[in-house]
Amino acid sequence: MPTISTLAILSIAVPWLGAVVIWLLRDREAWVQHALAVAFALAGAVAAVAMIPLRTESNVLDFPLGAAFGQVTFLPDGLAVFLAVVAAVIGSLAVIFSVDYMKGEKQLARYYAYVLFFIGSMVGLVLSSNLLVVFVFWEITALCSYALISFYNDDPKAVAAGIKALIITQVGGIGLLAGALFLFVYQGSYDVPTFLANAGKIPANVLALMAFGFLVAAAAKSAQFPFQTWLPDAMEAPTPISALIHAATMVNAGVYLLARFYPAFEAVPHWKLAVLTVGAVTALMAALMAVVSNDLKRVLAYSTVSQLGYMVYAIGAGGLFASQFHLLSHAVFKALLFLSAGAIIHAAGTRDMREMGGLGRQMPLVRIVMIVGGLALAGIPILNGFWSKELVLEAGHEGGPYWAWLIMVFGAGLTALYTLRFITMVFYGEPRGKAHVHDAGPAMKVALVPLALGTLTTWLIAGEFGAFLGKAVTGERPVESTAAVLTQVATAPLTMVALAVVALGLIAWWQHERLSGVATALGGIGTMARNSFGFEAINRGVIAATEGAAESLRGTQNGILNWNVMAILVGLVVVLAILALGGA
Amino acid sequence: MSLSLPLLSAVAVLGLLGIGLLGLLVTRNLIKVVVGMQVLVKGAMLALVLAGKLSGQIQTGQTLALTVIVADTIVSVVALAFAVQVRRQFGTLDLQALSTLRR
Repeated sequence: MPTISTLAILSIAVPWLGAVVIWLLRDREAWVQHALAVAFALAGAVAAVAMIPLRTESNVLDFPLGAAFGQVTFLPDGLAVFLAVVAAVIGSLAVIFSVDYMKGEKQLARYYAYVLFFIGSMVGLVLSSNLLVVFVFWEITALCSYALISFYNDDPKAVAAGIKALIITQVGGIGLLAGALFLFVYQGSYDVPTFLANAGKIPANVLALMAFGFLVAAAAKSAQFPFQTWLPDAMEAPTPISALIHAATMVNAGVYLLARFYPAFEAVPHWKLAVLTVGAVTALMAALMAVVSNDLKRVLAYSTVSQLGYMVYAIGAGGLFASQFHLLSHAVFKALLFLSAGAIIHAAGTRDMREMGGLGRQMPLVRIVMIVGGLALAGIPILNGFWSKELVLEAGHEGGPYWAWLIMVFGAGLTALYTLRFITMVFYGEPRGKAHVHDAGPAMKVALVPLALGTLTTWLIAGEFGAFLGKAVTGERPVESTAAVLTQVATAPLTMVALAVVALGLIAWWQHERLSGVATALGGIGTMARNSFGFEAINRGVIAATEGAAESLRGTQNGILNWNVMAILVGLVVVLAILALGGA
Repeated sequence: MSLSLPLLSAVAVLGLLGIGLLGLLVTRNLIKVVVGMQVLVKGAMLALVLAGKLSGQIQTGQTLALTVIVADTIVSVVALAFAVQVRRQFGTLDLQALSTLRR
C-alpha cells in the first residue's frame, strides 16, 4: 500500500513523465500517441483517486531545495485532494475525448505533451504547501494554457488569443509572487499551514497588501472582473482543452487560492466585500454577454466566467463550502457541456449557432447529455447545479449585502434564459446548416457518459463532501449530513424565490418573440454586452499605450557603445548616491 | 599625511578605472575599446588585491585577482579576434558605422 507522499509525487510525476515520453516520440504513429496519452492520464488519475482515503491535515514529504525555495512540502488535505482528483479525472476524460476529436490532426505530440504537462502541474498547484512552489506551478499552468490556446498556430486569431491569455494571467501572477515574497520576509518561510495558523503575526498593512495581491491573482486566473476578457477569446483552443483547462481546472485555481487563504484574510478590512463585489459584477456581466452571443463556445465561455463569479461571490460571503460544492458541480457539468459542444462542432463544422438547429435527430446521445448539462447549468432541480447554486445564494444571503444577493438571483434567471436559448438554437427548429452531420465517435461517447452520470448524482454526496474537505473549508463548525444539507435547501423560502426567477428566465426565452418589445427597449444593454462592456476597448488602449511608450523610448537604445558606458556610469553614480544618503 | 602603500594603491585604482572608463566613453575604434577595457580591468584587479590586504584576507584577494586575469585575457583575445574579423568583413572598425540599429 503506497503512502500518501508517494501518491502525491506520482500524481504529479506520471503525467509529466507521459509528457516527456510523448514529446520524445514525436509524430510517428498517431495511434501510439493516443494510446500513450490515455494510459498516462489514466495512471495519473488512479494515483490521484488513491489519495482520497489517505488525506491528511499536515505537511508530508519535506525535502530541502536550496535557500531560495526553502522546504518543498505538500499538503494533501481534503480541499487539495478534491481539486487534484477533479483535475486528474476530468483530464483523463478530456484526453479520451481527444482520441476522436483530434483524429487526423497534425502535431499530436505537441498537443498531448502539453495536456499531460498541464494535468501534472495543476495537481502540483493544489497539493503544494510552499507558496513559492505554488507560484511556480501556477505559472506553468498559465504557460500550458497559452500553448494550447495557440495550438493551431497557423491561425492568427488563435495566436493572438494565446498571447492575450498569457499576458493577462501574468499580470495576476505578479500579485501572487508579491504575496509569496511578503510572506517570506515576514515569516521566514513559504510554509502555507504556518501562515494560516499565525496570520495575526504579520503586520496588518502587509497582510492587506497580500490579501489584495491574492485577489488580483485569483481574478486574473479565474477570468473575473476586470480581467474577464481572455477567457472568451481562449475558445480558439481545441474543444477538449476548453473543457479541461478553461472550464474544469485551471480557471478554478483562483477560486481555490481564495478559499485556501480565506482563514488568513478574513479579518482584513474590506477584503471580503471586495471579493464578493468582484464575483457579483462578473456573474452579472458575463451572463448578459452570454445572452447575446451567437458562437456556441463563446456562450459556454461567458457562462463559465459567470459561474466562477458565483463561486467567488460565495467565498466573499463566507460560504466556503458552498463555493467548493458549486466548483465540483460546475466542473462536472461544464466539462460535459463543453465536450458535447465539441462533438457538435466536430459534426457541424461550425461554431455559429445560427447555422445549426435540428441536430438532435442525428446525435441523440449528445442531445440527451447536453440537455442534462444545460439543466444543471440553469439550476433546475434535482441536478447537481441546482443544489450547489442554491447553497451559494443562501450563503450570499446570510453573509453578504442584500443588493449583491438580488444581482445573483437575477443572474440565475439570466443563466436559465441563455441556457434554454443555446439548447433550442442547437437542437430544435429546422436545420439551418449545409454540412452533412455525422454522429459523435465512440471515444467521445465514452468520455461524455461518466460526466452525465456525475451531473445527475454528485449532489447526493453533499454531506460527505463537506466532511471530506475537512478543516480547511469548514473550520471549527460541525459538518452537516447530506440529508440535512439537502432538506435545508429544499425547504428554504429563498430556494422558492430563486426557482421562481429561474422559471421566469425560462419563460422569457420561450416567449421571446412576444417579448421583442422589451428586448428592443433593452437594446442598449444588448449592444453594450456585444461590445463586452468596453473592456476590449480598454485592452486595446493599454496595448496602444505600451506600444507608444516603447516607440518613444526607442531613442535611448542607439547601439553606440559610448552612450551605453555613459548610462552605466550615471547609474553607478545614482546607486552610490542612494547608498550614501540611505546609509546616513 | 604620509604616503602609505594602501593610499598609493587606492589612487592607482581610481586612476586606472577613470582612464579605462574615459577610454570607453570617447573612443569609437574597436581595438581601442579593447585597450580601454584592459586598463579598466587592471584597475579592478588592483582593487581586489588592495581589498584583500585591507581586510586581512590576502589570499582571497589574490585568488580573485588571478581569476580575473584569466577571464580578462580570454575576453580580450576573443574581442580582438572579433575585431580582426569585423575589419575583414565590413572594412571598418568604427563602432558608429557598424551599429545596425535604426535611429
